[in-house]
Amino acid sequence: MKAGSSAIKINNKTGYLMSLPYIFYFCLFIGFPLIFSFILIFHKWNIVTPMQWVGLRNFYRLFHDVQFFISIRNTLIFLVIHIPLQIIIALFLAVLLNQKIKFKGFFRALYFLPVVVSGVVVTILWQQLFAYETGLLNLLLNKLGITKIPWLTDSRWAMPSIAIMATWKNVGLYIVLFLVGLQSIPHYLYEAAEIDGARSHQQFFHITLPALNNTMVLVMILSTIGGFSLFIEPFVMTGGGPMNSTLSAMLYIYNQAFYFGHMGYAATLGFFFALIILIVVLIQKKIVERKD
Amino acid sequence: MTCNKTIAVIFLLFTVIDVSCERKQTTQIKDEQDVVQLTYWCASNQDEINLAKELVNEWNAGYPKIQVVLQPVPASQSSEEALLAAIAGKTTPDVWSNMWPGAMDDFTSSGGLVRLDQFPDFIEYMQKRMPGELLESFRSSDSHYYQIPWKTNPIMVMYNKKMFREAGIARPPRTYSEYLVAAEKITKDTNGDGRIDRWMGYRDIRPIWWQRLFDYYPLYIAASGGMTLFNGSEIAFANEASVKVFQFFNELYRHGYYPLTTFQGDAFLAEQVATQFTGPWNVIHVENFKIPGFEYGISPIPVPDDYNGPVYTYGDHKNISIFSTTKYPEAAWQFAKFLISARADLRLLEICSQIPLRKNLTVDSLYRKYFQENPMMMQFAEQALYTRGVDGSSVLKEIFDAISQEYEICAVYNKRTPQEAIANAAKRAQIIIEWNRK
Amino acid sequence: MKKAIIYILLIIGGLMFAYPFLWMISATFKPEVEIGSIGLWSSNFSLHNYAAVFQKIPIGRAFLNSIFVSACVTLSVILFGSIVGYALSRLNFFGRDFLMGVILFTMVIPFQITLIPMYILMVKFGWVDSYMALIVPSMISSFGILLFRQFFMDIPQDLIDAAKIDGCNDLQILFRLIYPLSKPVIITVGIITFMGSWNDVLWPLIVIRLQKLMTLPQLVTIFAVGGQAEGQLGAQLAAATLLAVPIILVYAFFQRYFIESMATTGLKS
Repeated sequence: MKAGSSAIKINNKTGYLMSLPYIFYFCLFIGFPLIFSFILIFHKWNIVTPMQWVGLRNFYRLFHDVQFFISIRNTLIFLVIHIPLQIIIALFLAVLLNQKIKFKGFFRALYFLPVVVSGVVVTILWQQLFAYETGLLNLLLNKLGITKIPWLTDSRWAMPSIAIMATWKNVGLYIVLFLVGLQSIPHYLYEAAEIDGARSHQQFFHITLPALNNTMVLVMILSTIGGFSLFIEPFVMTGGGPMNSTLSAMLYIYNQAFYFGHMGYAATLGFFFALIILIVVLIQKKIVERKD
Repeated sequence: MTCNKTIAVIFLLFTVIDVSCERKQTTQIKDEQDVVQLTYWCASNQDEINLAKELVNEWNAGYPKIQVVLQPVPASQSSEEALLAAIAGKTTPDVWSNMWPGAMDDFTSSGGLVRLDQFPDFIEYMQKRMPGELLESFRSSDSHYYQIPWKTNPIMVMYNKKMFREAGIARPPRTYSEYLVAAEKITKDTNGDGRIDRWMGYRDIRPIWWQRLFDYYPLYIAASGGMTLFNGSEIAFANEASVKVFQFFNELYRHGYYPLTTFQGDAFLAEQVATQFTGPWNVIHVENFKIPGFEYGISPIPVPDDYNGPVYTYGDHKNISIFSTTKYPEAAWQFAKFLISARADLRLLEICSQIPLRKNLTVDSLYRKYFQENPMMMQFAEQALYTRGVDGSSVLKEIFDAISQEYEICAVYNKRTPQEAIANAAKRAQIIIEWNRK
Repeated sequence: MKKAIIYILLIIGGLMFAYPFLWMISATFKPEVEIGSIGLWSSNFSLHNYAAVFQKIPIGRAFLNSIFVSACVTLSVILFGSIVGYALSRLNFFGRDFLMGVILFTMVIPFQITLIPMYILMVKFGWVDSYMALIVPSMISSFGILLFRQFFMDIPQDLIDAAKIDGCNDLQILFRLIYPLSKPVIITVGIITFMGSWNDVLWPLIVIRLQKLMTLPQLVTIFAVGGQAEGQLGAQLAAATLLAVPIILVYAFFQRYFIESMATTGLKS
């Protein structure tokens, strides 16, 4: 969408001058690291010893690396749980907030609180909530007479637990986005539907949801890109356990690079993973564009 | 017209210059002639930082020509990360006192460490300090020395005397069976709310590779009579001893004697667990934070029922090294000698409650008073002679990670038998060595 | 009736988001043994955990470091983001669309790929353990550029033409004309950038080792995850609270701006 102007002037000099900061920045802080990373793929390097050319050995190793594929699977599991959960809760609360009630601002601010707080604080906090024997959540369940849940100590619960924590942290942002979308839906659509005899859930599915399509797309893409970089939570809380169930792709790459010193192999994994992210995002785009 | 642009540019330049000026000022002080400045990195725990501060201040007061700047290593899951980053950027310190023997291979093969036996008085000084054959074990594969043996922390069992007494346990358990019997007596629900709140012990259940240095590895060393993971360059841990250790932990978790949880605070001090595998550094910590009436004792780690002989354990050695990026190796060696002097060793005992690698430690008059006042430390000091370190292999961490994962599946979650788990671990270790061949 | 249900649900939701924080804050005042309890009250409230934190780590200095670094980064991102955003939206030059594509592409790159090479750069420039390493790599943000560009594209061409006739060059147009019109986007970019910079932990952990230069989240992380807290959970939680409080206070004051800025960002994207 170009701002209309009958005479499109070519403004080369000023254009380049003003873009110079970015070009400079790109070459230094993005271009060089990318190229260096690419070179690393064909080498073995642990920083301490000099780089060693190994050709395609890293690729061969990648295709035989069961743990890496497990980590990708885990990341996808995280996304599959986290994104729908986030959308449903955010949408639900946003719809509630959109009604004619008082204290909207207060609630909205409250739900948004975890978003601004540092991830470190959230992780430290939730470790206290999730602990099996002494954690607050299980204490609460105990008081209600329900058996304790092995939040972080059972391989079927661990990743869902992290997904819950991530949802808690981010849902406020998405509530706000949905609210904006909801508020832009013209009232007369609902009024017309009332007159036609449509019930509220029918109104929801036929008016509200379609009108929120753009917001939905935005929410999905943001959650996906954020979800793929899942790292600090499993890093601090579970170390990848139990039994590799919370080993996210980024955590695995980090381990390879910083624990075991396989810089070249980690670079290979990184590129491969970036490729997967690209594919998933493209698929999402295709699905969404078709809906339109 | 162009005024605004110029102003903006000048403003920016000022900011940039201002910020980088701050750096220049500090470097100017460094470059004053005559005074040699060394950077010294110590470990990141509070006790060692306190010790380092005291020793550095004392040194700086006595040696105005050689000034030392202390920086604690930032903690992460392992301080190796911070060090790796420093090596990558050649911002390593001159002297580093948290050198782990397991990292030797990497550092030495890249020429990152100063060869210590080049100093004429090195061998002599070291032989005066410690037994010759123990010193030999720190020689690198190229038969030179790159680390100064400094201290060790033998892993033993610390147990709560009061809890033992109340449960009717007469003496600390020596074998696996005795330990399990004691565990059964201790683990129970004490306040009647239907939840067990007392356990025999606790280990971090997250599969982090270095956690195994405080459970599997010491018990394996003990059960195998002093073996380590490797024999030369061959994997040697796939044996009965390893299986027995895995079996032991499997039973502990299966019966619920060790809880499946992560404690955030100190469960031993809170009397939630009766024993812990720990080293002498913990003694000062316990003394500082214990509640009135808290009684504890030290005993060797348990061994399999059919084992007879001295109990070995893991020694968690930490040594001092000098990085080859130093501009003043001689001065660094002088400072390092000061760090392991007799008085410094005494302060190590007093401030950090860790054992210096010094012969005749328990009989020397300088330390007698300390050991009289701290009988617990005597036991650690005696155990110090029966320790093993880690092998200097460059893939050590990855192998421990493989063992850690099998430990998690088998011992913690009971999804695999010990025999299978050990066999798997050995297979993975073999693959790891293969992948990292030169 | 329906309203009552709505209020109840909203309150339950509110509790779920607020209670954990309240619990954490109250835990920092409790003695160590009482921290495990779920309630907020204790008869033994004291400040000992905070005393421990202030005694062990230079938290005031870290706070100032964070403010300095985040402010510099934010100002720089706004300045350069608006300049480049203007170029991309109002100027036509050869390769402009290619540059746009490059910027979009960089937003998808996971940062782990560039981490180590970036660190090596810091070393080569001699910026390790200095404010430069914390500020310069974050001075320009693709996200900021995109937001500015998006916003600037909606500015009517007539206004710009009028200014051109008056003899202004492009930079003047930007600063004198467009900035006053761009309050929403400037605030948006400012808030998002500041928040991101304030909460960043991983990069400071890698490039800063001198304690007096550490940022607040970095210092708290090291304190809580490393050994200095000596297993005292209360002290760890106190440090975490100290980290959370400044941003919560800022948030409480500017809450409307915060939320609306996120919302408008969403719309534009």
